[in-house]
Amino acid sequence: MTTSTLLRAPDAALAPPREVPVASQARQTVRPAPATGTGVAVTLRGLAKSFDGHQVIEGLDLHIPAGQFVAIVGRSGCGKSTLLRLILGLDQPSAGRIDLENQGARSATRRIMFQEPRLLPWARVVDNVAVGLGGAGRRQERRERAAAVLAEVGLTDKASNWPATLSGGQRQRVALARALVSRPGLLALDEPLGALDALTRIDMQDMIERIWRNQGFTAILVTHDVAEAAAMADRILVVEEGRVALDLTVDVPRPRRRGDPELARLEGRILDHLLKDRAPA
Amino acid sequence: MSRQKTLGSDILGRLTPWLVPVAIIAGWQAAASTGLVSTRFMPAPSDVIAAGWQASRTGELWSNLWISFLRAAVGFLIGGSIGFALGLANGLSQLSEKLTDTTLQMVRNIPHLSLIPLVILWFGIDEEAKLFLVAIGVFFPIYANTLHGIRSVDPQLVEMGRVYGMSPTTLFLRVVLPGALPSIFVGLRYALGIMWLTLIVAETISASSGLGYMAMQAREFMLVDVVVLAIVIYALLGKIADTLTRLLERSFLAWNPAYRNI
Repeated sequence: MTTSTLLRAPDAALAPPREVPVASQARQTVRPAPATGTGVAVTLRGLAKSFDGHQVIEGLDLHIPAGQFVAIVGRSGCGKSTLLRLILGLDQPSAGRIDLENQGARSATRRIMFQEPRLLPWARVVDNVAVGLGGAGRRQERRERAAAVLAEVGLTDKASNWPATLSGGQRQRVALARALVSRPGLLALDEPLGALDALTRIDMQDMIERIWRNQGFTAILVTHDVAEAAAMADRILVVEEGRVALDLTVDVPRPRRRGDPELARLEGRILDHLLKDRAPA
Repeated sequence: MSRQKTLGSDILGRLTPWLVPVAIIAGWQAAASTGLVSTRFMPAPSDVIAAGWQASRTGELWSNLWISFLRAAVGFLIGGSIGFALGLANGLSQLSEKLTDTTLQMVRNIPHLSLIPLVILWFGIDEEAKLFLVAIGVFFPIYANTLHGIRSVDPQLVEMGRVYGMSPTTLFLRVVLPGALPSIFVGLRYALGIMWLTLIVAETISASSGLGYMAMQAREFMLVDVVVLAIVIYALLGKIADTLTRLLERSFLAWNPAYRNI
């Protein structure tokens, strides 16, 4: 049973309101069904963060248009997770500012998907998804919304299971549903697929990409995997020592084919950059 | 056929835990009947059953059992709720922990039964004395395990709850308390054991009613069958308390694979 056989056309009630696509105007030729202006635009100005005198992020300027899918890659400890936490408002910057604008967006809610599923083991799958709604709504309504999102990730039949009975990939899909149930304007993905096997990972990448195209939220993916970044993102930022060292646009039409030579060229370029100061073997 | 087989193995599985107790009782009866063991020191199981029948007909057994149960329950509720409350407070608040934990850890190492002479001086041999001892006895296992349970809640889940906008109350009810529950149940089991132990000792030393008193009085009249009857009743009460805890665990910890098949 593959995930794709379980996938359905998005529920009419779930489809985002059609508005003038803001973020995608420039790429209309690239994406036929583009984001619909429901994402949050993020602007960072002179952002800095230090821990105990150690500078992790230094004077970072960055604009992420609404609805863009950005991948942040970099070596361990380059500050990419810190950057993500700052954008989410989980940490306060030492200097600089973060502006979020949501022109006509449905919600300014920011959500994160962690590296681990972090499901409550004592709550059934549907209730775990409902955690993403915060305290809003009556019990019945919460469950209905949660069930609708579970259908989107192909887990309708697992709604009343305990998380312990699910596979790793299924748990991460529940975590995705929990992040999406409140229809966020921004979804941060902190290496969410790192612990999955290769095939489950590709299924998840396709699923995240498909949902992103339907909903049009702004997506920020932190990953070690350059191939994953190239397969999913509109734009790849290579972060080194707290700065954006490389800012690349991925102009490959979707749906993207794995092994596309242009993607491979892009991956090669990023890897060369990341490995450039490695001693020659 | 396979159904019959599973049914058979199911019955066998249910009976297995009782094989050893039944064998012991059968051997005991045989030893007593053949005169291998003097019934002056160890009455036959049939004598114990007869003593039980006798005591329950006069109502003596039931009134003693009831009064012991009341003491155990009230003492447990007092000590358990204070222990639970302090465990929560110290698990959730650093100030509270700094203030009280060191003191509690010191007091914890005093065997609570060593307080019996003091307790008799304070309370005489009235109900307060027994309630006090039972309450102190159950306090520490509940306190320590509640505290440990709250400390060992997965910090990643707590962070998730915060990031997803849970209020402190919601965070406590949906993340912290359920996460601490397995450990709290461990404390509950320990506390139930200590509850009986304390009560029996207290009743044996100073009481005018209750199961322990019944046993001590029987000893004075050399009614060895009643003494053994009291011991058997303790064993049964322990088993009942354990079964109740398991039922609670099965309904509250159903999510946990470790508890699913008890």
